[in-house]
Amino acid sequence: MEIVGLHPIDIFIVFVYMVGSLMLGTYCTRFVGSAEDFFIAGKALPFWAIGFSIVTSDIGATDFVAVAGAAYTNGVSAANFDWMGSMPAMVIAAFVFVPYFWRSGVFTIPEFLGRRYNTAVQFINGLIWAVVLFFMLAIMQWLSADKLMHTILGWNPYITLWLTAGITGIYTFSGGLTAVVFTDVVQLVVMYVGGFGLLALSLWEVGGWSALHEKVLAMGPQYADHFRLLLPHNTTGPFPWTGIVFGLALVMAVAYMSGNQVIVQRTLGARSEWDAKGGMLFGGLLKAMIPLMVALPGLCAIVLIPNLGSANADRAVPEMIRLLMPAGLRGLMFAALFAAMMSHISASLNSTTTIFITDIFGQIRNWMGKGPMSEKMALGMGRFITLALIISTALLAEPIANREHIYVFMQTILSLFQGPLLAILLLGIIWPRATGYGGLAGLVLGVMFCFVLKYTPGLFASAEPFLFVAWWSFIFALIVTIVVSLLTKRESEEKLRGLCWSSVVADEDAQEALQERVS
Amino acid sequence: MEDTITAFCDKFFGPALRYVFVPINEALGHIPNWVAGWCGVGIFLLTMIWVGLLLNPKYVNRGRPYKSIWTDLRLWTVISMTPHVVVYFYFR
Repeated sequence: MEIVGLHPIDIFIVFVYMVGSLMLGTYCTRFVGSAEDFFIAGKALPFWAIGFSIVTSDIGATDFVAVAGAAYTNGVSAANFDWMGSMPAMVIAAFVFVPYFWRSGVFTIPEFLGRRYNTAVQFINGLIWAVVLFFMLAIMQWLSADKLMHTILGWNPYITLWLTAGITGIYTFSGGLTAVVFTDVVQLVVMYVGGFGLLALSLWEVGGWSALHEKVLAMGPQYADHFRLLLPHNTTGPFPWTGIVFGLALVMAVAYMSGNQVIVQRTLGARSEWDAKGGMLFGGLLKAMIPLMVALPGLCAIVLIPNLGSANADRAVPEMIRLLMPAGLRGLMFAALFAAMMSHISASLNSTTTIFITDIFGQIRNWMGKGPMSEKMALGMGRFITLALIISTALLAEPIANREHIYVFMQTILSLFQGPLLAILLLGIIWPRATGYGGLAGLVLGVMFCFVLKYTPGLFASAEPFLFVAWWSFIFALIVTIVVSLLTKRESEEKLRGLCWSSVVADEDAQEALQERVS
Repeated sequence: MEDTITAFCDKFFGPALRYVFVPINEALGHIPNWVAGWCGVGIFLLTMIWVGLLLNPKYVNRGRPYKSIWTDLRLWTVISMTPHVVVYFYFR
């Protein structure tokens, strides 16, 4: 691959962006005086900041690279993750899950599960998320440093990795969620400018949408399905329509938007319940535009770089930037990629820290008979873990993430527990008869079933059946939770007061009860 | 390591799981693609109907700063989902 150097104006734009982010992030330090300020921004976030932050936290530089790569190989069906895999799930999250989490005043989703089921469910769920987020942090750092900056600029990936880790680490360490959210707002604007700039240039070079359509279809029968969002069930690619509808829209996406700490933590910091719900919906609208700037350039690359090959598909966007973007615009695009990378890293960093403090160390202290941590201790520990995480993930980034088809690999990791997690979360809220033992059995056996499905050959037509693994593990965990719950002792009414969705929707007393439990 | 796990799962779980999943896959493989297209559009439409018509409006808008059509989250839901319906209709 040919290396391109940056013009001084590009370097200036990237430098200004980096310094600006650092200054804005560290400025937010003045708003952090307690653990609540650090972890959930003192419950003061407006809906627009939440919406911006949800999208920026979800879209990393990895998406620019990997979704474009998936679109190059599989066509527009790769965009399902940001369309069908987002909006319906965000609406369900806004009106079923978020009001509960917000009213209960919890810091994390595992903490909510701990209140509804038991501390073992909280600990296991927290541990799973901590490990997954650790992997994701390492992957996004290496992917950005190696496949982006090294490919295009020839920069040493280790220098890029430590530079971004250093800047994001500093402002997340000092400003907590407030710093993360307000830098996210700026970063999304920068991402949109850079991303839509690349889209406009790509379409211009190809000759517009109609020309793109004609040229791709004329390249051979292997491209016949590249403009179909929902592919036949027996396709060998990873995105058949049954997997998209059942596995993605109904399970993985709902679990991701309702059970992923990185996403939900922003709504927990909302200043009102309306802002929490509105933030989710506004985020969904903003997210609908993401495929235009991450997937369509991948399609254009089929025409402009036809000999890239499936094995190098993840290099589609870097090559498009190298080919199409002039000096100045390239600086903006790089600022956008740095924005995506840094926002994703800082969001995951803050959420992983929150889970470590609340659900892992908090629970271990609880089991050892020690009381809850003081405000000062929780804040100090939070900052220490932020630092430890950014250093350890930067050190382990290369061995964890240096592999092909990284997007499918990431989705496969998520699919291995999303189904069971959603099953116990859903039953915990809508079914009062679900018990602590039922939730524990559903979670543990459900995750084991995921591994069995993934490693048993010949079950599905798709070569990467992670969408079906998510769907069937969800069904399996639902059944296990229901059966074990019916065989075990019913939870007391006092424990469930204000935690059942049907009563909370209709009954003001039940709604108040949920808030009283916290105070 | 991965090969050992695959061989283990294939031996102990493969026959029973294939007995369940192979017929399901065959049945799903015969569904025409226009059904898939309408399933995609249908998910968005049903979600809009659920929020707009079935959920308690007081619950949907609880905590809103002031009463106005622009702060009604039912309208927000419809506005944010409509572009998706258009996209899935176009690419069906």
